Amino acid sequence: MAHRRFVYLGIGGVLALVVAMTLTSLDDNLTYYLYPTEAVDQKADFPDGNRFRLAGVVVAGSIQENSGDIAFVVTDGGANVEVVLTGTPPPLFEEGAPVLLEGAWRGQVFQADEALIRHDENYEAPEEGGAYSEG
Amino acid sequence: MTRVQVLLGLAAIAMIVGLWFAFTAPVDAFQGEYSRIINVHVPSMWLAFLAFGVTAFGSIMWLIRKNLRWDRLAEASAEIGVLFSAIGLFTGMTWGEAVWGRAWDWGDARLATTAVMFFVYVGYLALRRATPDPEARARRSAILGTIAVIQVPLVYFSVNMFRTLHQTQTIRPDGAAMPDEMLVAMLINVAVFTFLYIALMIARIDVAKAEASAAQTQDLAGDAVKPPLLSEVEDV
Repeated sequence: MAHRRFVYLGIGGVLALVVAMTLTSLDDNLTYYLYPTEAVDQKADFPDGNRFRLAGVVVAGSIQENSGDIAFVVTDGGANVEVVLTGTPPPLFEEGAPVLLEGAWRGQVFQADEALIRHDENYEAPEEGGAYSEG
Repeated sequence: MTRVQVLLGLAAIAMIVGLWFAFTAPVDAFQGEYSRIINVHVPSMWLAFLAFGVTAFGSIMWLIRKNLRWDRLAEASAEIGVLFSAIGLFTGMTWGEAVWGRAWDWGDARLATTAVMFFVYVGYLALRRATPDPEARARRSAILGTIAVIQVPLVYFSVNMFRTLHQTQTIRPDGAAMPDEMLVAMLINVAVFTFLYIALMIARIDVAKAEASAAQTQDLAGDAVKPPLLSEVEDV
């Protein structure tokens, strides 16, 4: 009967998804993003034009706004990667911001066409007198 | 006033109190005012986890005891869980668009597993709607409700098992990575939403009990009109 099959399909679908997600976590090629140290180490696996995601922190003083793009450097404390971002950066983009970039290598530069802010789990109150302080 | 009206009225007042705390707490230095949405997003998702856990509990108890009151508990909790999952997903998307720069990404394990959990429990409600017999409905729902709850720890720990856009837990066993006043405001809202859950559960279970007793004591309205039997019709 159709109703019973619906239930089994639903249950099977949930189980299949659980299994699939567990298995993909073991496959490096499907890793959601790489940190700069990993991206540099694995550069040979991603020849120019092969898209992947790069996550890092924008190095202070490295932002250069040009006419068609923005150049900056991201770091994870280990390696630094030069980035050129075409398109608009997210609203909270600034020095020291944690970013998630999508793009590909072009030589020694990571050519990104999308940038997201990837903030961590820490919340800090603003300093006194800062833009978001209470008083 | 009925007890449900009193409870819902108190819950409404509690939500206003929660909102007050949400808007007077300090904001995050990086996110600014956007961080206030944590006071709706996190309590909603907490509530979804709680609700689906209660559904699993009711499902297991029905499978053991076969008493329909457990099925009513499971059903009510699943409905409320679906509602607050939707609110959590919506507030999450709003927050993501504002701070991340993107409302959704299927590649993120937390987002994907939460969305699947939402759809599976919508499926739970659809399954109930598609099964008119109360006994069969309770049995099928109980099986699905018991199995589907595995998604709750899957969703919660997805940020630890995979690399995600969504951040990891702020509240951890060793403390909270959050200023005290922010944490207090968020926990007050978690308590407010939990109280709302209890009020909604009582309201919904009252309705379910009324439906169940009406089904037993009243005839189906359409039964008053029956077509004549062919054998009773004289000139055919």
